[in-house]
Formats: sequence, C-alpha cells, structure tokens
Amino acid sequence: MFLYYCDLAWRSIKKTPMLSMLMVLAISIGIGITITTLNVYKTMSYNPAGERSDNINSIQLWSQGLDTWDDFQSNITYTDVINLRNNNELGLKAATFRTGLAMQSDDPNIDPILESVRVTDSDFFSIFDVPFLYGNAWDKTVDSQPAYQVVIGEKLNQTFFDGQNSVGKTIYLNRKPYQIVGVIKEWNPQPKYYDPLNGAFNDAEEIFIPFLLAEQEEFDVWGNTSGWKFEPMLTYQDRLNSEKTWLQFWTFLENEDQKSQLESWLSRYVEQQRNFGRFTDTAKTPAESFQISNIELWLENNDVVPEDNKVLVGLSVLFLSVCLVNILGLLLTKFLKRAPEVGVRRAIGASRAQIFSQYMVEVGIIGFIGGIVGLLWAWGALSMLHAEFNMKESVTGLDASMWIITPLIAISTAIIAGIYPAWVVCRTKPSVYLKAQ
Amino acid sequence: MLHIKPILSSLMRSKSGPVLLLLQIILSVAIVANASFIIHERLTMMQRESGLIEEQILSFNVYNFDPAIDNVQQNVIDQQILRGLPNVIAASSTNMMPLSGSGWMDRYVDGPDQDTAESTPGFALYLGNEHLLETMGAKLVEGRNFRPEEINTQLDQNGMVAMVSQPLATAFWGDESPIGKTMYQGKQTIEIIGVIDKLQGAWVNHSNFEYSVIQNIDFGGGFKNKTYIVRALPEHIPALEETIVKAFLAENPNRVVDGFSSLIDMKKETYNNHRLMATLLSMMVILLLLITALGLTGMVMFNIQRRTKQIGTRRALGAKKRDIVNYFMVENYLICIAGGIIGGLLSLQLGQQLMSLYSLPMLPISYPIAAIVGLLVVTTLAVIVPAMKAAKISPAMATRSV
Amino acid sequence: MLSMKNISKVFKTDLVETHALRDFNLEVEEGEFVAVTGPSGSGKTTFLNIAGLLEGFTSGEFSLDGVNVSNLNDNLSAKVRNEKIGFIFQGFNLIPDLNLAENVEVPLRYRGFNRAERQRRVESALEQVGLAARMKHLPTQLSGGQQQRVAIARALAGEPRFLLADEPTGNLDSLMARQVMELLENINQTGTTIIMVTHDAELARRAQRNIQIVDGQVCDFSMYQKADQSLVSDLTQAAGLQKAASSDC
Repeated sequence: MFLYYCDLAWRSIKKTPMLSMLMVLAISIGIGITITTLNVYKTMSYNPAGERSDNINSIQLWSQGLDTWDDFQSNITYTDVINLRNNNELGLKAATFRTGLAMQSDDPNIDPILESVRVTDSDFFSIFDVPFLYGNAWDKTVDSQPAYQVVIGEKLNQTFFDGQNSVGKTIYLNRKPYQIVGVIKEWNPQPKYYDPLNGAFNDAEEIFIPFLLAEQEEFDVWGNTSGWKFEPMLTYQDRLNSEKTWLQFWTFLENEDQKSQLESWLSRYVEQQRNFGRFTDTAKTPAESFQISNIELWLENNDVVPEDNKVLVGLSVLFLSVCLVNILGLLLTKFLKRAPEVGVRRAIGASRAQIFSQYMVEVGIIGFIGGIVGLLWAWGALSMLHAEFNMKESVTGLDASMWIITPLIAISTAIIAGIYPAWVVCRTKPSVYLKAQ
Repeated sequence: MLHIKPILSSLMRSKSGPVLLLLQIILSVAIVANASFIIHERLTMMQRESGLIEEQILSFNVYNFDPAIDNVQQNVIDQQILRGLPNVIAASSTNMMPLSGSGWMDRYVDGPDQDTAESTPGFALYLGNEHLLETMGAKLVEGRNFRPEEINTQLDQNGMVAMVSQPLATAFWGDESPIGKTMYQGKQTIEIIGVIDKLQGAWVNHSNFEYSVIQNIDFGGGFKNKTYIVRALPEHIPALEETIVKAFLAENPNRVVDGFSSLIDMKKETYNNHRLMATLLSMMVILLLLITALGLTGMVMFNIQRRTKQIGTRRALGAKKRDIVNYFMVENYLICIAGGIIGGLLSLQLGQQLMSLYSLPMLPISYPIAAIVGLLVVTTLAVIVPAMKAAKISPAMATRSV
Repeated sequence: MLSMKNISKVFKTDLVETHALRDFNLEVEEGEFVAVTGPSGSGKTTFLNIAGLLEGFTSGEFSLDGVNVSNLNDNLSAKVRNEKIGFIFQGFNLIPDLNLAENVEVPLRYRGFNRAERQRRVESALEQVGLAARMKHLPTQLSGGQQQRVAIARALAGEPRFLLADEPTGNLDSLMARQVMELLENINQTGTTIIMVTHDAELARRAQRNIQIVDGQVCDFSMYQKADQSLVSDLTQAAGLQKAASSDC
C-alpha cells in the first residue's frame, strides 16, 4: 500500500510542477537556513570532553577587591596557582598559560618559526586525555624540579623530524636547548576547550613545556592579563607577585566526594588568604569566593558559542515556521482542489485513514526532497561561510549528525504542515463531490 | 470605491486560508523588523571611522629571541631602518594596533590619593613615540604632539605626557579642555598635552571603543615582542612586506618577522562576525520576502481558480475589470494590515526578549513599521499579477457549469 | 438484501430544519433491479448516499445483506462499500490522472488484493464492458459512453453484490444510454442487485420495479405504473412545485 501511495504522490507532485517546486523551494530554504545555523551552533557548542566533562574542572577565585569586577574571572593569579599546585589532596592537577617562543632545530635549513607554546604541568596530558605517538609526558619530578624538556605535536614532528621518532632529540626555543620526551598524536579539540579564552576555535599548541620554567625563563604571556587595581608591572617578578589574573588551573575530580573535599579546602584557603590581606571583597563569604567549573560550565561561561549564533538559530527557526505556514497554505490549496477525487476514492471504499495516509505520504515525499535540497543549500551556505568569512572548517564542515537531523526536521516540518490539510481533505464528505460535476 | 464590508465578511466566513496568510504575515513582520534592525545596527558599527588613514597602514611583529640582543637599542635601529626604506611615509613602534582585537586597556585617576581620586573610564592605552601620530594619520584638535626629547623607553620613568581622544576628553572633562591636566597612575604623574580628534581602540564591541590615550613611550624597550606600524601609499603596501623582512633579517637574523597585516585587512577580520551576521540576516530577509510573495501568489491564484464562476458572475452583473482587481487588493490589504499590526506587536515583544537575553539594544518602533510597509509592497506585487489575470475572466464564465 | 425501516434524515442549519427523508421504508430483494425516480429535491440523492453508506442518518434502521449497518464507524463502512457495493455516477467520476486499468484497480488496492489477483480482476472487468484493448488509455481519451463503461467496470471489479447507479445515463446521448442500460441489465442477469436513480421515465420502465420518492418518502408506484402514467407525472410536478415553494422560505 505504501508503494501505491508513493506512486500516487509522485503523480500528484508531477501533475502540478510549479506548486510542487514552490513547496520544495520553501521547505528547502527554510531547512537550508536552519541547518546552516544549527550546524554552526552544534559544532560550536560541542563538548569535546565527552563523558569526562564532569570530571575535568577548572577553578576560579574571587580574588578581586570590593566593587571591582562583577563576575568571576576565568583566569587566576600566579600566587593562587602556586598554592593550588601545592594542594596535595588533589589527584591530577595542572596550571597552564600560553606563550610564544621562536623554535629552531639542529637542521639549519629550516628557518626559525615563532610558535605558540603551552606552559603546563605533566598532569595536563592525563587530564585532557592527550594521545601520544612516541614517548610520554615529562616525569612528575620535572613539575617540582624544572628541566628543559618538551612535548611536541605530530605536525611539528613532521616538519622538523620527517615524522620519525624524535624522542631524545633536541629543539631550541629562544635558542635554549630542550629535550623531546614525547610526541603527541594528532590532537586538536574543537572548541579548544582547555583554553577558549584566546580564540575558542584556534588550533591546539604544538609545543608543551614544564610550568616551573616560567619563573626562570620569564615567558611572555600570550593571553589576557587583567588587573582590578593599579600595580606597576616592570619586571617579571612584579607579574608573579601581582594580583593580576592570567593563568588557568585544572584538576580531575573522580567523584562528588573529591569535589566537596576541594570545596572545603578552597573555603579554608580563602579564609587563610584573607589573613594575609588578600581576597578583600568581604561582601562574599569564603564559600562564595570560588567556583569549580566543569567543562560544560566553563565553555558556557567563556561564551564559546557567540550570542549572534544563538540569535541566528532562533531567527532561523522562526523562518522555518514561516515556511511551514506557507507550505500549509499551499498544501491546503492543493488538497482541496483534489477533493472530488477523494470523494470517489471514499465511495469506492477507501477509509479516512487510507486517504489521510495517502496525503501524508505525499507530504512526506515533498518534505524529503525539500530536506535533500535544503542540505545542499546548507552545504553551499557553509562553504560560503568558510570561504568568505574565514570560518574554521571545524565549524563549517557538515556535522555527521546533520545527515539524520536534516531529514528529520524536513519530514517533521512537512508533516506538521500536512496534517491539517490532509485531515481536512480526508474529512470531506464524499457525497458532496459525487453529484454531477 | 472600496467595499470593505462584504470583503471582510467573506474573509470571516472562509477560515483557514486567510488565517494562514495572517499568520505568515505576522511572523514575517516579526522576523523582518528584528533582522533589519540588527542588520542596520551592524552596518552602522562597521561604518565607524577609526581615525586613521586606514588604507595606508601596515603593521607587523618582530620577535627578537636572541638573548644577546639589546632590545632598547634594537628598537631604535629597527625604526631607523624602517624610515629609511623607499616608499615608507612614516613608521613608529607601538604596543597595540587599533581594531586588532588585542591590546592594552587602562585607566588614569585625577589625584594622588587612590581612595578619593576619580577614575577615568577605561581606555585603550597606546604607547608610541613622536612619529606615531603622523604614522596613523590621526589629527590633533588641540594641544601638541610629543617632542623627540620627551620620549621614554620604560614604563616607570618620570615625565609622562599623553594625548587623549576627543570622546574620552568629553566623557571625563566635559566641555573643559584637558590640556595641562595632571593625571595619576600610582605615584606616577601624566600630563595631558594634546587632544586627538578620533582614535579607536582594539575591541570593536567594547563600549569604550572610542576612548584612547597615546603615552610617550617608545615601546620596544625591554620586550622581545614588538609591533611596528608603517604608513605607505596603498599601492606600495603589498611589496613592503618582503622589503621589510629582508632588511630586518639582514640587520640581525636571530628573530622572527611576521604578522604582516594591513589595517584594511585587520578591520575586515575584526568585523568579520558582524559582516557575517549582516549578510546572513540580509539573506534571510530577502528569502523570506521571496517565499512569502511566492506563497501568496500561489494562494491567490488558487482562490481565483476557485472563484472563477463567481468572478464571471460579478463581471456579468456589471463589475469593471478594475473592481475585480480592487477586490483582491483590498482583501490582501485587510489581511496585511491586520497581520502587520499583530506582527508589529510581536516583533516588539521579540525585540524585548532579544534585548533581555542578549546584548542587543531596544528595537525602535520604526523598524516594525518599515517592515509592514515593505510587506505591503511585496504583497501588492504578489497579488497584482493573479488579480489582473482574474480581471480577464470572461463574463460568459457565469453561465458555464464548471 | 437491503432493508430500510423508518429512516429519517434531518439537515439542520441555524435557521431551518430540512427533512430530507422522513420515515423512509424500503425492502429490496436479492437480484432485483430497482429504479428510483422523483423530482429534484425529493430526497433521491440522500437515499442513495445512505444506501451507499456515504452518509449517516438521523433515525431508523438500515441493514444490508442481513447485517445491521446503521451505526458503522468510518473504517467498517469503508470496508462494506469496498466489498459489497459498487457505485456508478452520472459524471463517471473517473480519476483523470489514472489510466483505465489503474482506475479499475483503485477499489482492489483498498481491498488489499495482491498484484496477480488485481490484474486478473481488472482484465476481466474491462473485458466485460468491452474495453480491454484500451487499458492504457486515459479517461479523457474516451467518449462519454466509454467512460461510463469504465466506471461500471470499476464498480464490477470488486464483484459487489449490490450496485448503486446515480443517473448513469444522464450525461449520455440516447444511443450510448441504451448501451449502458443493456450492460446494467446483463449485470443484473448474473445476480447482482441494482438500484438505479434516474430522471428518465423510459429507462425506469425497463427496471423490474419502480419506486418514486416524493418529499422524502417512498411512493411505490409499481401498481399504478401500467395503469396511469399521466397521474405519476402530475404527482411528480406537484411535488416538485411544492418543494420549490418550500425551499424558498
């Protein structure tokens, strides 16, 4: 019977080509726009941490003075990071910030390049589940006894070492020799969830070096440094001693117990720091002076999905509903025109349900074609966004889920639009249309 | 002569068709009003002038990674090299580029006592030497530029002077001239010596985007990473990149010279999201009007087909062609106006929602009104063709039993 | 075969109540050929719609083939229509997009027959009406008489016990009308019960039994028929006038 309905639907679609094209056009444009914005939204709001999202937590502190900043800063001060690093109750923990260094190898043929570098602790790789191609992270002892060791990315390994196992070899960062201990296998989470603050869709760094080297080597900070009071920053030591925020701190919490343990530790910590004259905003209790953000919260607080995108998704859904109303009108028009035929079919023995199904199949086919055409529009629009607006491929590439979502939205839109007309037409009294035409 | 009443009562009797049309117009007005408002807002944003001669500006970064390099000295040499290059009109070091999305933000206070002093709003803090103003092409409206002997190389030196942008001066000092005023940063004093007509900061979305200060520090000293700004005629800019890299590496190879970007490109990049939003929304508005118009045409055509006999009868009873066209137009306008009013209210409501959820300003009433007018025009075009066709129906149709 | 007892059908609008049928009684035996006549507005169409299970009625009892069909739901009445009743209309009501074979196939589709069975029945039905050779033609390529024969083939394809014909010759010239009538008579010979609504007194006379509907009630004129034809037409006219007058108010 279904095939019979398909056959009838196809004849009916072919019989009124303009009207059918108009409907397919309307639904496909609506779908195209919705899928475009939804795709960008979905890829931007993707949580790369997956099921580890609740375990991976960053810490924010209300270290600012009274009447200064209204919100938690995503970054925290060096003082706090050092104290958190020394909290032995925590299992995996890593401080991190971004810098840039000029990189050279023993190969004199390759020009020095200025590379973005992540300064962090060895636990960083375990917390973020970074896969290794060769070697491993530096030893834990390096986190307390800094050594000139480095983990590099696969791409860099390709450029400088032809993709060979380079563990044990040396690279030069700002002319200082660093020994390679590990090579990361292609790893580029999008959004860059471990540091969305400097471009949430920038590529992951290709160089990782031990955190404690920062104090000796005075690495520049390639990221935001924010202060809430006037503090001259003339030397690197000024920066380390200041109340300026510029670092992130990550930890991996296995369960709720560990979380509440950390919470009480932080409360005590804030209290203790107040005795040293820090955390001067007394409007906040110690328990209110910290925030433990899992990845989901962290991504949300850092506005990884731009507001514009949310507005666009909302407007495109409204747009789709206009298309829906439009199609509804056209379908009603079309179906009512066929009421006499329905009368005959009803007289001959078709039940209402059969007539209804026949028309819903027709609507479904229109929706399906519209969905496919819409997917093409979306693909075109996304390519345009990529080419014209330099949007990242990770955002403009058609998300795999869209292959399911698109026909789903298309067919359900068509069906919602079709239910009323099909219902009206299957309710028509057959006797009305059977008298002489 | 318009016979509104019979049309209205006929509309009231045939339910679903007009209701759908009404719904479509309501939604369209709500979307078009809000979308065009956002589009206009973004376009206005992008049209703001930076205060610089945008098409003549090129900037780049130098990263001196050789520990042996004396950064203060190198900075002076590098600027001399730049100014000596052919086609370079002017060049200066700077700590940040306007419209670049990264830079320094700071504030001054107007007294030595931290507790009682009043603070200026936050502003973009440019550090540069006496060449910066000319390199940017920014105009002084009051006071003077830095003198060569005033230029400092460190942040903690004495004798700080500054030029402020006019919007900042107005915001903090009102009509009073800021020239000669002394401002404070900790113990350090800064004397205001000039007012710049216009100079934007780095962040286009920041509310203090037009508030800027240039302070007399040749920002090369002590830092490995430096930004230079170069002014040249647009036709010379593309070739300059290679010339500069060659000249700089010849002087000292232990550095990375990169990040070349013209201000035009920088501006394009920084307004990318706004351009994107404006483009997408414009597409949406156009497609929406197209779909509404096509859908409307389709429905009117169907209505006419259904009413062929009725129209024939009217014609037979003496209706002129114009009367028939008028009938459809009036019917359309009635629906349009009703939908427009409801849609207008809905769009204000939607605007309210957007304003409370996102950082969008309040939707002015003129937008829904413009959207309604626009829809009236579009629907007129959509209805007039089938209505003219309807008017051609022969009065003989009345007697035919089809 | 068909039994209607005290059937009433009232159409209500805000202003008036119209009694389309009132206490309508009719018994039709298996294998009968009944012609139903009556002035326009007398309730012929309403009777036909009720008999064909296309409409419900206000009160009374209706059984078909010994089964009470008074209060069937939509699905069941569709099934009864499909399996037991064949329809023939004045305007043929062929589906213009479908060719002859496909038109005849429509009821078989809803019946759920498999492909082979459908094909067999379509061929035999078209054979019966003499149009087997034109199976692939579209209805518009045929004359009116041919179209009506296709419609009859469609009605026969389901092998119904009971055929309802509404002015089957109303749109045909007299030659074609006679052919169609002969076809119906042949079908009746094979045992199919036929009820035919018609204006045409000549055609009606060819039926075994004549029924006249006036003002929603049956006047069985079979006894008068041979006696006084003029009385019938007088009555018909009178009823028509009366109806016309009543519909004015």
